[in-house]
Amino acid sequence: MWELLVRSLEASTIFLLAALGELLNQRSGILNVGLEGLMLFGGTLAFIAAQTTGSYGLGFLAGLAIGGLLGLAHGFFSITMRGDQVVSGMGLWILSFGLTTYIGNPYTGPLGMPRIPSIFGLSPFVYLAFALVVAVWLLLYHTGLGLAIRSVGENPAAAEASGINVAITRYLCVVLGGMLAGLSGATYTLSYNPVWNYNFLMGWGFVSLALVFFSMWNPWILLVGALLFGMTWQLSLSPELLLPGILSRYVWRAVPFATTIVILALISTPWFRTRWGLAKPEALGQPYAKE
Amino acid sequence: MRIGRYELTLEARPTRPALHTALTAFPAILLALALSSFLFLPAETGFLSAYRAVFSYAFANPYGLQATIHRAIFLWLCTFAFLVPMRAGLWNIGLPGQVYVGALAAFAVPYALRMSELSHPPFHPGLIILLMVVGASLAGAALAGFAGILRAKLHVNEILVTMMLNSILFWLVAYMIKEGGPFMSATGEGESFNLPPSLYAPLIRGVPFTALLALVAAGLLDFLFVKTTLGYRIRVFGLNPAAARYAGINPVAISLLVFLLGGAFAGLAGYHYFAAVPGVYKIPGNYGFYGDLAFYGIICGLIARGTALGAVPIALLFAGLSLGARFAQGQFHLPFGVDYALLGLLMMTFVASHFLYQFRIVWRPVATEEVPRVSAGIPER
Repeated sequence: MWELLVRSLEASTIFLLAALGELLNQRSGILNVGLEGLMLFGGTLAFIAAQTTGSYGLGFLAGLAIGGLLGLAHGFFSITMRGDQVVSGMGLWILSFGLTTYIGNPYTGPLGMPRIPSIFGLSPFVYLAFALVVAVWLLLYHTGLGLAIRSVGENPAAAEASGINVAITRYLCVVLGGMLAGLSGATYTLSYNPVWNYNFLMGWGFVSLALVFFSMWNPWILLVGALLFGMTWQLSLSPELLLPGILSRYVWRAVPFATTIVILALISTPWFRTRWGLAKPEALGQPYAKE
Repeated sequence: MRIGRYELTLEARPTRPALHTALTAFPAILLALALSSFLFLPAETGFLSAYRAVFSYAFANPYGLQATIHRAIFLWLCTFAFLVPMRAGLWNIGLPGQVYVGALAAFAVPYALRMSELSHPPFHPGLIILLMVVGASLAGAALAGFAGILRAKLHVNEILVTMMLNSILFWLVAYMIKEGGPFMSATGEGESFNLPPSLYAPLIRGVPFTALLALVAAGLLDFLFVKTTLGYRIRVFGLNPAAARYAGINPVAISLLVFLLGGAFAGLAGYHYFAAVPGVYKIPGNYGFYGDLAFYGIICGLIARGTALGAVPIALLFAGLSLGARFAQGQFHLPFGVDYALLGLLMMTFVASHFLYQFRIVWRPVATEEVPRVSAGIPER
């Protein structure tokens, strides 16, 4: 049972890191539906870098760097080129899905390095993710920069008029968000499940994206959502711990995805939307052209 | 941006002529092909001979050509499944899930009729095949329609729902064909039972009849979009949902309809690959690969800019390229996944071309402001 709880927390960490990055993006008005792609690329390059150099540090650096770079590319298409953010996001995802399958394939298999030591029985990334929740909350609600981020997400024209540089603020968010997504992927392949396999995520990124919608763009609710989903995910992998012998293990694997759809539908009901609609960044997904 | 006396700006194109559409699609494909030269770097042979191997296998080799056509039919149907909702501004990325559910529905027909236990089919095989085709289309339509109704009624993001459905259906197929699942083959090798030969899809000159269905559908779809009121409504809704609502177009009906129609095509694609391609006639253990292949439908639909007939040659090309790349991979001992990498490269060049298509770079001299001469009141000498 303790084992299950530890693994659940570690799974939550993956969701949390990626979703925190996406939350930052979306708070600044940029929607990146290619989150899974950023995680795939981050995870794959981190795995390759760590295996070839034998250094975890370089692995995580590679993950952070490629995440930031892809975030920057998404920023270029959506901020500078003012393109359709969904097209760019989907492009990033399919690009990453295709290229990581090719690049990573020779590295298929286990990482073959000593596991990252745990702290009080938990992976250090669990603590890091929790600390980042606090950091993002402090940043968004207690700093001038946070106010700038939230205002460019709500009304970029008004923000610009009050002296905030919309483009720079949004670029900052997409790069930071991309780095967090890359870190999330790297945490997956270097710590949570250090085995590389083609398309190893199989939907983690899309669930993280859904979590941001569930969270009403609030880091604390995001934390709760990530914990619940980490638990659901882990249970779906080993259902015999709670409900032995009921349903095939394959059916259990579908449960987190079905849960996601149910929650997405619930939070979209009119009752919920009257509250949720207020939380949604007003300018989310809208290209902004300076007057 | 200002460079010297010239100003460089990005302006949205007011009109997008058809010729221009074609002109931006070709460079995107060519650039992706040029970029894929990098994929052939590990090969012991030159680029040109690698490309020659890819194309000659896909389009000149009799086995290769046959496989290319089978794959092209699959991609055509997947492309239409993506393209119809796209015209209404909605993203159906649930192609793999709809392909899987179509395959499951098609195989459910002989399963329900207990065909494996009977020596003769209970009805005329043609009727059973028809039931399989209709079942696959309806199942695909129902699955996509679920995403459509959530989108229409509750504004649930269709990308997330269709992606979640992909994962759900992936595991459902695993449940059905593996580890004692209902559709598992008698030998228990993690794949479905084989279709009895009486249910093999009829071939027209060696090509499954689904080819005809797909080509007719392409013509009908373009007719729908260009010549009918319904097509016009779908396009208006895609271009500006708010304006469409003011014009009296029912958003719920349109969102649901495009997903139902799209899903039916993807379901049919599932029928095609698992029940109509000679030599397959079962859901193989690596069904996930065919689901991934369905994503090519997204890129075909995007590059063809929503025209079904325009997508036909593009999908044929991609079918040949992905197959030829697999062949070259084996022949030149390249790493696995050249076909996946090509998918990624095509997507990248498409996104770049998309922005060139929507915007144009305008290069015009900066109007020099005439500074009026101010007379200082001192007479010039």
